[in-house]
Amino acid sequence: MWAAFGCLMTVLSWQMDRMTSQGATLHTAPGLWPGIIGVVLATLGGMLMVRSWRRAAHIGWDAAQEDETDYAPARSFALAVALFMIYALLLVGRGVPFWLGTAIFVSAFIFVFQVAGRKASGGIARGAIVALACGAVTAAAVTYLFEHVFYVRLP
Amino acid sequence: MFDGLVAFGHSIWNFCDPLSLGLVMLSSLVGVVIGALPGLTATMGVALMTTLTINMPSNQALLVLVCTYVGAIYGGSRSAILLNIPGTPASAASCLDGYALAKQGLAGRAMGIATSGSVLGTLIGMFFLALFTPVLGNLALKFGAYEFFWLALFGVIVAGTLTGNDPLKGWIAGLIGIFVATIGQEAIYAYDRFSFGSRDLAGGIQLVPALVGAFGFAELLVAVRERPAPVKINPFDSVIPKFKDVAQYWRTILRSGVIGTFIGILPGVGEDVAAWSSYAAAKRVSKEKEKFGKGSIDGLMAAETGDNACVPGAVIPVLTLAIPGSAPAAVLMAAMLIHGVRPGPMIMVESPAFVYDVVAMMMFATIGILIYGLTLTNLLIKVLMVPKPIILPIIFVLCVVGSYAISQRLFDVWVMLAFGVLGYALRRLHYPVAPLVLGLVLGDLMEKGFRRGLVLSDGDLTPFFVRPISAVLWITIVLVILFKIPLLQRLGRRLTGRAAAPAA
Repeated sequence: MWAAFGCLMTVLSWQMDRMTSQGATLHTAPGLWPGIIGVVLATLGGMLMVRSWRRAAHIGWDAAQEDETDYAPARSFALAVALFMIYALLLVGRGVPFWLGTAIFVSAFIFVFQVAGRKASGGIARGAIVALACGAVTAAAVTYLFEHVFYVRLP
Repeated sequence: MFDGLVAFGHSIWNFCDPLSLGLVMLSSLVGVVIGALPGLTATMGVALMTTLTINMPSNQALLVLVCTYVGAIYGGSRSAILLNIPGTPASAASCLDGYALAKQGLAGRAMGIATSGSVLGTLIGMFFLALFTPVLGNLALKFGAYEFFWLALFGVIVAGTLTGNDPLKGWIAGLIGIFVATIGQEAIYAYDRFSFGSRDLAGGIQLVPALVGAFGFAELLVAVRERPAPVKINPFDSVIPKFKDVAQYWRTILRSGVIGTFIGILPGVGEDVAAWSSYAAAKRVSKEKEKFGKGSIDGLMAAETGDNACVPGAVIPVLTLAIPGSAPAAVLMAAMLIHGVRPGPMIMVESPAFVYDVVAMMMFATIGILIYGLTLTNLLIKVLMVPKPIILPIIFVLCVVGSYAISQRLFDVWVMLAFGVLGYALRRLHYPVAPLVLGLVLGDLMEKGFRRGLVLSDGDLTPFFVRPISAVLWITIVLVILFKIPLLQRLGRRLTGRAAAPAA
């Protein structure tokens, strides 16, 4: 992948304007430096690719990609990423007041990720109240801090 | 020497107002808490605090960042000792003996050792910061475009070599950082590179949103992806450091302080390498080697002294050469630039007092961690018990609003998200992220050095190789790379094996 990216970088650098109309020479052309970086990246990426193939041929793909990390279920990871993205891309700067978007996001995140534990202990309503309180406090504190202490015009 | 002491006294006096002292206490606390929470690193803490201090006067903003940095590196030891989970990568070495002591019911003593080691380590590093910065600053005045090119490259190569397990992946991560630094208008003809018609991209990628993404959002994603370890706190005794522990291991403290500071000075290496190097050096000379890993006070003292001594060490090249010694120092450097401070060779000429201001900031941070080290244990345990689902969204809100606050444009939020995803992907594929940051921070300096050098020599590459300082730098870079080539490593081992055989 890096080899391909390095090649792409080199091609794009080669296609850049050489600025000869403004008296640029080869060593002052805008594409020279990124072109060099692209070539080095393609070379290192190629080396990495060859090494991975050789390692996989030696011990097999599965063993080469072995990872001992204890991962959480992929579904909860996807849900967290979705919540992060909804907040950053849809709730911030799209007309929803910042404090409201923040309160919704924080409350939803806390509720969703604690709901299983709360269900087991029979305290869903308490969990919802805790989540709403955390969301409201976070939204109020962050909005106050940035708007009235740091004088930032929030989105 | 005397002038330096006077300037240092002035700097201390300047910070002796209620607001600054309040900021010291608050930011040290924030740093310790961030450091103690597994998954949140010093780099993330300094990056987030950079966004929070954007509208503060520069000296106060940098005071906050230095205290956060020192506090976070220290705070990591708490979760290492209590939970066997390093709060920051810098505290990984402290897990070995810190947690072993905790299992023996000596967690309080271990925390006392960590506090005394961290405080003394920062003080040793601070001493070298005050001593070496003027000397290195004067030496740096001899540096030209050629030397700065090699020095910046040296930083990326060394970071790539030492911060991960695979130098090839480290160098690739560094190159990606250098590539990102080329996005936007270049310096000579203001030509848009890789902007694809976007006005936002033409302005280039701002450092702070990128760093908040690579360290803040990416670490949140890692924290969500990995199953949390069960929190079980061992009972502990008094956390007050014992004079006997300090007096008995004074050699370890001095040695680790010097090693930590030296590793801090090396561009891009950082606190985790400093801790492990100090730990290894202590084990090599210890009379109680068998205790290492089983609750050695010597080992814990070495690791904690080494990583905290690295903090002032990492700031030395920031101030003198504008080359960061570690990833958090890279963020600190970016914050200095945002606040109008120009670190680099001219600092001892333009604003020598600032160097002593930074030394004074380190001293206040040391006092902060000493106070919290003696008093904060129960509060920290409560913080460690707070469930992740409550902490993570709050930090993400700070990542978003902090990135936005720099220039008040949504584009920076997208940059933060993109770098978060990139940083997460790199971590999953076992690429170190520190070289990416170094590449991003040093890419511009490297390119300017390269192109200015070529302009000065009219396209001739010879001055890059024959000027004395340049020659030392490029030969060192080549040696660092050669020593990492497996074939040459095997050859070297065979040669040293043969040399040892006749001697035996």
